[in-house]
Amino acid sequence: MPGGFAGLLSNIGRAVGGVVGALYQAGRDAINSVIRNILPFMAFISVIIGIINATGLGHVIAVGLTALSGNVLGLVILSIICAIPVLSPILGPGAVIAQIIGTLIGTQIAAGNVRPIMALPALYGIDAQVGCDFIPVGLSLGEAEAETVEIGVPAVLFSRMVTGPTAVVIGWIASAGMFPK
Amino acid sequence: MHALTVAAQWFIGLFIAGSTTFTGLVVGIVPLLIVLLTFFNTVITLVGPEKVERVGVWAARSGLLFYPVRYILLPVVAVLFLTNPMAYTMGRFLPERFKPAFYDAAVSWVHPPLGIFPHVNPGEIFVWAGIANGVQKLGLPLGDLAVRYLLTGLVVIFIRGILTERITAIMWTRRRARVAQEPVA
Repeated sequence: MPGGFAGLLSNIGRAVGGVVGALYQAGRDAINSVIRNILPFMAFISVIIGIINATGLGHVIAVGLTALSGNVLGLVILSIICAIPVLSPILGPGAVIAQIIGTLIGTQIAAGNVRPIMALPALYGIDAQVGCDFIPVGLSLGEAEAETVEIGVPAVLFSRMVTGPTAVVIGWIASAGMFPK
Repeated sequence: MHALTVAAQWFIGLFIAGSTTFTGLVVGIVPLLIVLLTFFNTVITLVGPEKVERVGVWAARSGLLFYPVRYILLPVVAVLFLTNPMAYTMGRFLPERFKPAFYDAAVSWVHPPLGIFPHVNPGEIFVWAGIANGVQKLGLPLGDLAVRYLLTGLVVIFIRGILTERITAIMWTRRRARVAQEPVA
């Protein structure tokens, strides 16, 4: 390593160059992610929400969703449905179902049909199935043996039957005092 | 002719409603998201994901004290630095009997931080943003909700880790018993 002033300058230059390079690459990754994942999903959800809102369908869905997401019991039921071991791997992929139901609940909150205090339990109510489609792959990424995968898949699915509704209740309790008037 | 015009207007109205939604989403979410993603991607590059591996080695120990390390610290650090889905590779440091529980804890943590750390799973941002957007439209602040989602997430993944570990252990014992009986029958 060269010493003295020239060495110092070269070290500073290298450090700054490293940070700037990392920032630039990070920006590129961020834009890529927005274009590849986020904007397409926004387009897709806009078409669905637009059609639902502009046709009368919105009112039908509003009634059903308000009943489910307007109170804790409804959300617990929603989370149990999402966590049924046969359904949860089907509902899981890409979190598409959670994202659509979440957006629909969001529109109901904005419309004043669902109280905003229900937002946190609702976040858990729509998401009891998170990752249930991905268990074998996720375990393989962790270099799990075949026997572990065989046991791990039902273990996680059964566990969700309990922890799905539990999460809703935790979210509901933790909402206390949010959004004071 | 008049009916046709009305029908056409109704038809295009469906998509005008959609375009209003789209504008709202792009303007309301994308700019902040891009800046946050850029920042956190930079931090990850500068810190270096390989540092997370040390936590993985540490979390493999058994004992009551290591439950929070295994099902809170390791999933949190793994997801924040390796993001979805590479976070699950951290399971390789754990003994087989802990792997399903670790996966359950880690995968359950890919949504609760989205309000503050969207880089962990930008492709599934709407699990958070869908509901958050509705709250925002009422003119309410999102910070409180984002922080509470993140903190309750810690509690939830801890419970999931412990319970799934128990269920895995029970199923393993039953399986061993069944395998042991088979030659007799």
